Amino acid sequence: MTPMNPENNKPNAGYKRRSASQWAVAWRRFRRNKAGVAGLIIVLAVVFVGIFGDALAPYPAFPNPKALTPFYNGDVRTPPSSKYLLGTDVLGTDVLSDILHGTKYALYVGVVVTAITMAIAIVVGSIAGYFGSWIDNVLMRLTEVFLVFPSLLFILIFVRVFTLGAGAGASFNFLGISIPIGLTIVIFVLAVFNWPGDARMIRGEFMRIRELEFIEAEKALGASNRRIIFRHILPNILSSIIVVASLTIAYAILLEAGVSFLGFGDVNTMTWGQILENNFSDMRIVWWAEVFPGLAILITVFGFNLLGDGLSDALNPRLRD
Amino acid sequence: MIPVALGISIVAFVTMYAAGDPISLIRAGKPNVDQTTLNALRAYYGLDQPVPIQYLNWLTNILQLNFGKSLYGGQPVIYIIGPKIWPTIELQVVSLLIAFAISIPIAVNSARKPYSKQDVIVTSFSLFGVSMPTFWFGLILIIVFSFTLGWLPSAGAVGAAGFLWWGNPILDQIAHLILPVAVLVYVSLAQNIRLIRANMLEILRSDYILAARASGISERKVVYGYALRNAITPALTFLAIALGGMIAGAPMTEYVFSWPGLGRQYVQSTLNLDFPTIMGITMIITVMMLIANLIMDILYVYIDPRVRIR
Repeated sequence: MTPMNPENNKPNAGYKRRSASQWAVAWRRFRRNKAGVAGLIIVLAVVFVGIFGDALAPYPAFPNPKALTPFYNGDVRTPPSSKYLLGTDVLGTDVLSDILHGTKYALYVGVVVTAITMAIAIVVGSIAGYFGSWIDNVLMRLTEVFLVFPSLLFILIFVRVFTLGAGAGASFNFLGISIPIGLTIVIFVLAVFNWPGDARMIRGEFMRIRELEFIEAEKALGASNRRIIFRHILPNILSSIIVVASLTIAYAILLEAGVSFLGFGDVNTMTWGQILENNFSDMRIVWWAEVFPGLAILITVFGFNLLGDGLSDALNPRLRD
Repeated sequence: MIPVALGISIVAFVTMYAAGDPISLIRAGKPNVDQTTLNALRAYYGLDQPVPIQYLNWLTNILQLNFGKSLYGGQPVIYIIGPKIWPTIELQVVSLLIAFAISIPIAVNSARKPYSKQDVIVTSFSLFGVSMPTFWFGLILIIVFSFTLGWLPSAGAVGAAGFLWWGNPILDQIAHLILPVAVLVYVSLAQNIRLIRANMLEILRSDYILAARASGISERKVVYGYALRNAITPALTFLAIALGGMIAGAPMTEYVFSWPGLGRQYVQSTLNLDFPTIMGITMIITVMMLIANLIMDILYVYIDPRVRIR
């Protein structure tokens, strides 16, 4: 029977008898979730600003805030006005421009940290979850050491020691984009300390799916471990990985802001955390240089968290009613 | 517990000293120091020996509560760290207790009526809390309550000599605690609520709750007596991890509020590359966390009878 359109009681125009794919179903479910859609819109807006921020900003990026003489147009600590919408900071740079220029760094941190984190987590989690026994034991004790100890403390030591070698304002070229080395070092350190939680999650999913009948059937058919892992288990946990990745992006942006704020960031790259750090000692006067960059962090992270929650509801309906 | 502490100490020690010899790291910006002075400094701090020997020396010293000498000023590390332990414990314990006391009733109520108006408000607020940079929330509180309204102090743990907030040493302490505690509570509140709510939601759907309701036990007893007990056990495990998170977040909060605690000292020592002090603080924090874990294990036995050893 052809499904009828309830509005005019005629068969739906252009209806094709084709079952909806898993992703189409998820998208339909996601669209109904207002919070998730709001998150998606925020994330898209942030990505837009990340790409076009340099063109949108009313004033040019400040190349080397601490190394050069900072006062490039003489207007230091000016409150928000029509000339400087969000005021200028202690170095005399326009806060709005700094935020717009900084967006790309926030995204760079979020995406790259997440990519590295997920890569390590998937390798460790799959091996531990699939093979079990002593391999699982060894890997899980390792992640426990990382989890038990507050990793921020280790992150600070590593960032401090490794950024010592990086020259002031040094950067490298990747596909024609100049990428600051100091910030990249911070990213690698964050990723190295970030994977254990995600690895445990992936291990749990692996262990759950490994016990299902279809895997047993595969084994009976003589499928190799590699085939089972890559063709059967990984696609099944892809949705969980996507959800966790979205939340990891949010967390990485927060963490980088914190590290920069404590004075361990790349001083030559004006990330949002760096703006907050530069103005911290003068914040009694320049409150606008503390409030607005923080608001940018909050909105971005909130967007990714909303998106993650929305995706989780859409992709893992079992978790919901 | 002892293997974990040993493991952490080895990891911290090896990574730190493998990263470089602290004397040459510190020298990086000061080319005028000559080689003889460097060698003398290395010998003075025992850095001329191989790392495993250094670690063993450090370990034997620390078992006698000798934390070594700071590379930054040469003071014994214990004098630097000692006075900072109590302020950190004070801040953490007060926040942890308040956070847990508030989060349980809120989470239970919103789990009882999922997706109701109250639940939506609570979940969005907690998502907001998870999304907020800890330190930035502190900055906002300082700008509002301290700079603008002038109600509360913006920095430190006690008033300066001759000036006490609210005119009394005890009230002065409380005045200094309010803002940092508010920050820590809000941040961990968000995590706690999300976790307990999720557990409660799952448990309230289970058969034994249905059975309890069917047998006419009062709603209050079903929720708080039957469901909460099961919902809180995973939350307690998380609490141990959350404590780690709080201590990890301590550097931020303590830095923002100039709180004279271990976290702020840690930031300072790491910026100075003062390895012995970093190791000392690392070990003290590790021991604090292990003690917290032990307390948690004991609490388990009271809450979850299944854990009890027959």
